[in-house]
Amino acid sequence: MSGSIVLALRLATALALYGFLGWALYYLYHEVQRQSQALAGRRTPGISFTVKHGGGGSLYKHFAQPEITLGRDPGCDIPLMDDTVSTRHAELTYHHGQWWLEDLSSTNGTLLNETPITMPTVITSGDEIRCGATRLTVNLAEDVLIEPTQRIGKNENG
Amino acid sequence: MNDQTQSRLLRWAALFLFLQSVILTLSPAVRERAWDVDYRLSHWIGFLAWGALTFLAHRAAIKYLPDRDPYLLPAAMLLSGWGMLTIWRLDETFGIRQSIWVGVSILAFILALRFLPNLTILRRYKYIILSGGLLITALTLIFGTNPLGFGPRLWLGCCGVYFQPSEPLKILLVIYLSAYLADRASIKLFSFPLLVPTLALTGVALLLLLVQRDLGTASIFICIFTVIIFIATGKRRILLSSTFFLSLVLLLGYFFIDIIHVRVTGWLNPWDDPTGNSYQIVQSLLAVANGGTIGRGLGIGSPLLVPVAISDFIFTAIAEETGLAGTLGLIATIWLILARGLIISLRASDRFRRYLAAGVATYLGVQSLLIIGGNVRMLPLTGVTLPFVSYGGSSLLTSFIALFLLLVISDTDDEEPAELHDPKPYTFLAGMLALGLALSALTTAWWTIVRGPDLLTRTDNPRRSIADRFVPRGKLVDKNNLPINVTEGKSGTYTRVYLYPELGPITGYTHPVYGQAGLEASLDAYLRGLQGNPASMILWHQLIYGTPPSGLDVRLSLDLSLQTTANQLLGGHRGAILLINADTGEILVMASHPTYDPNKLSEEGEALAQNPHSPLLNRATLGLYPIGTATLPMVRARFGEDQPTDEELRAYYGKLGLYNSPVLNIPTASDAGNEDPQTLRASPLQMSLAAAALSHRGVAPAPRIATAVNTPEQGWVVLPVLSQPFEAIQPRAADEAALAFIQPGRPYWSHVGQASLDKTIVTWLLAGTLPDWKGAPLALVIALEENNIPLANYIGENLLDTVLNQ
Repeated sequence: MSGSIVLALRLATALALYGFLGWALYYLYHEVQRQSQALAGRRTPGISFTVKHGGGGSLYKHFAQPEITLGRDPGCDIPLMDDTVSTRHAELTYHHGQWWLEDLSSTNGTLLNETPITMPTVITSGDEIRCGATRLTVNLAEDVLIEPTQRIGKNENG
Repeated sequence: MNDQTQSRLLRWAALFLFLQSVILTLSPAVRERAWDVDYRLSHWIGFLAWGALTFLAHRAAIKYLPDRDPYLLPAAMLLSGWGMLTIWRLDETFGIRQSIWVGVSILAFILALRFLPNLTILRRYKYIILSGGLLITALTLIFGTNPLGFGPRLWLGCCGVYFQPSEPLKILLVIYLSAYLADRASIKLFSFPLLVPTLALTGVALLLLLVQRDLGTASIFICIFTVIIFIATGKRRILLSSTFFLSLVLLLGYFFIDIIHVRVTGWLNPWDDPTGNSYQIVQSLLAVANGGTIGRGLGIGSPLLVPVAISDFIFTAIAEETGLAGTLGLIATIWLILARGLIISLRASDRFRRYLAAGVATYLGVQSLLIIGGNVRMLPLTGVTLPFVSYGGSSLLTSFIALFLLLVISDTDDEEPAELHDPKPYTFLAGMLALGLALSALTTAWWTIVRGPDLLTRTDNPRRSIADRFVPRGKLVDKNNLPINVTEGKSGTYTRVYLYPELGPITGYTHPVYGQAGLEASLDAYLRGLQGNPASMILWHQLIYGTPPSGLDVRLSLDLSLQTTANQLLGGHRGAILLINADTGEILVMASHPTYDPNKLSEEGEALAQNPHSPLLNRATLGLYPIGTATLPMVRARFGEDQPTDEELRAYYGKLGLYNSPVLNIPTASDAGNEDPQTLRASPLQMSLAAAALSHRGVAPAPRIATAVNTPEQGWVVLPVLSQPFEAIQPRAADEAALAFIQPGRPYWSHVGQASLDKTIVTWLLAGTLPDWKGAPLALVIALEENNIPLANYIGENLLDTVLNQ
């Protein structure tokens, strides 16, 4: 009799152990779900440029995506009609809460505030990017300056 | 959400430990199959202390680390509570100590949360930390002791409290290496900045290996060093050179350090020396096999048979009592900790924390793998502890420091992780740890499921004789159901009692040290309840008790009253008597002298085995005596007055069955290799079959001694006859020969013959009933190891008069 009771308890013990592991797995799944939703909800702060062509024309462009390419290629996000600009000249990316400018091995180089850049460099509002004869003035949307990342899901815990 | 996850997981862990505690409380009732027992209650102190301290740790973690990882604390608490209860089950004294250590570790953890809010201080004082650790470890070289009084002297101790500095030294090394490498922008392999830590580490590892003979800790140091350098540099070459170094260490240990040599040999060939150098590992595998799928239940297995079950072999103890279900859960929980540790490392906000978390996870992972692998014979045995689970204050405290570091690093809020140059080291590390754990799980399953049944029937499995103390063994009874060998006592103290010790050489014995012999050995399956009981009943008993069901009684063909007469007649003379029913083959009397008392086997066992007169030998079936003139009646029946040639005699003896070992439930012998019929030897059993043929119209019966078994479903069931009767002599010739040897005035024939070979003289008496005898035909054989014809006649007349006048 005692044997049967203890057998039931032994099975219950195994169930409790796997209950622990099952819940852990469930929470891990839940964490993935929450994280993906949080990341999907995270928006790249806007960035806008005032593009001054060598010829003198001026153009205003606004973006809300995390990767922006510049170049002579019409497929670029900012197509530049300028013979001194390479096909794919430079790239702007948003990560680690910052906008980064990177030269894509262009022929004439990319200059930030008249200084040639060799590695990905952080840019801020008011910076001037020069590709060949084209100049772009950076204007970051306001929320970028306030907080690089948002505290998602923080307030639910209380 | 975080807090809710942690709280719910902790509740599951508490439920698991609560159920384990209930099982441990009830375990004496299951072992003894009774309700009137001393229940185990003391471990509830440990459980309650665990519950209270876990609650405090839970609150402290919520308060001081709002964004910590929610899985680590419950997993660590589950493991430490599980280990504590297992230790409590193994040894109450150590259970109390382990509970105190769990309490101390959790309080230290809470204090650290309160007073060490960030880890910058560790980074700043890295040199002090490392050199302090090294200094204290070095002190063990001078003041080192071992709490057990023998073995490696790795402890510093005073007044009953012992501490093993090499345990926290692992964490100190991780802290130092992380801080050192994080302070340098880029690290090249084989460069000066790496020289200092490399030399320090090599020194420590070699010191541990050569002076302390601690291969396990030395390997862990090498692994931690390798992983942190690999993560910092991303160079694969470090793995190669470390593998080389590790193999070198193993080889050095194998050739120059005895204990490592013993362990490696025991790992490679455990079955060569299962009672000596491989005793630990073989017993460990037996325990794992005994666990089965869901385990015996806490307190119901026999994990104490494995030496050092509380620390080195705690995984085995857990395997035996919670089974494969438990060990797989344990390994999965360890994987949860390691995987979270690596994720914490990846999410860490700076390189110091990143290296630190990876190093801590490596320490926990490698140490768990080494000891689990060692327990299930996947790796050579190294005496390291299972983090969080094994007994030991230093080990437990170090495990909780590791937990503290991981939790603090995990509390990063939403800071961006530091930049990662190369993901390869992480995929490699996670892959290796997962592979190692998966292999340990598979190996455990292999020993449990594939090899388990074979292992458990090994004669060096002490669980069989333990089961004999708790399960009544079946009785051996004579043909009138008078008890011969019975089991007395109550569950837990059952002992075998031999009511008729003169039958010792025939019925044999069952003994925890000397094993089994005679009918006790050959009928073991029935007597132990493994045969004759319904399969479902056997399975059920295995499942709930881990033992076979109650044994079944076996009826023998022996007649105790005749047996008593025969034993008295033979007295102090050496020889054998065999009385057989010539028709059915049932053996009514089987006596072998000198005899011994199986009740006194524990005291006399060694002396009996050395005795030149071999009292343990069953002379009736195994004693081969030269036959000489004993076969004269049979020879007459075949050849009359003619003198047969050796060729003819050999063929005839073959027909009489003198060249075959009769098939019986006990071992029998024959002189089958002897081609010369003049020097042929035969056992009294063989001769009795030939004599029976003379009294039963030439047909030799199939001998039987175990006739029926008392099954729970069908009552007494007749056991099968093991051989076929055969015609040995022509029926008419047999009758005539029997009449030719008739004893005047008596209803039987008899013949006394003598033989001598190698200076031993044997006196035979063969006798049997006459062809016209109305009762059951009988045949008698007496063999005396002396020249004593009057005695043979005296025994024969008395015995036959008794039996034929019954």
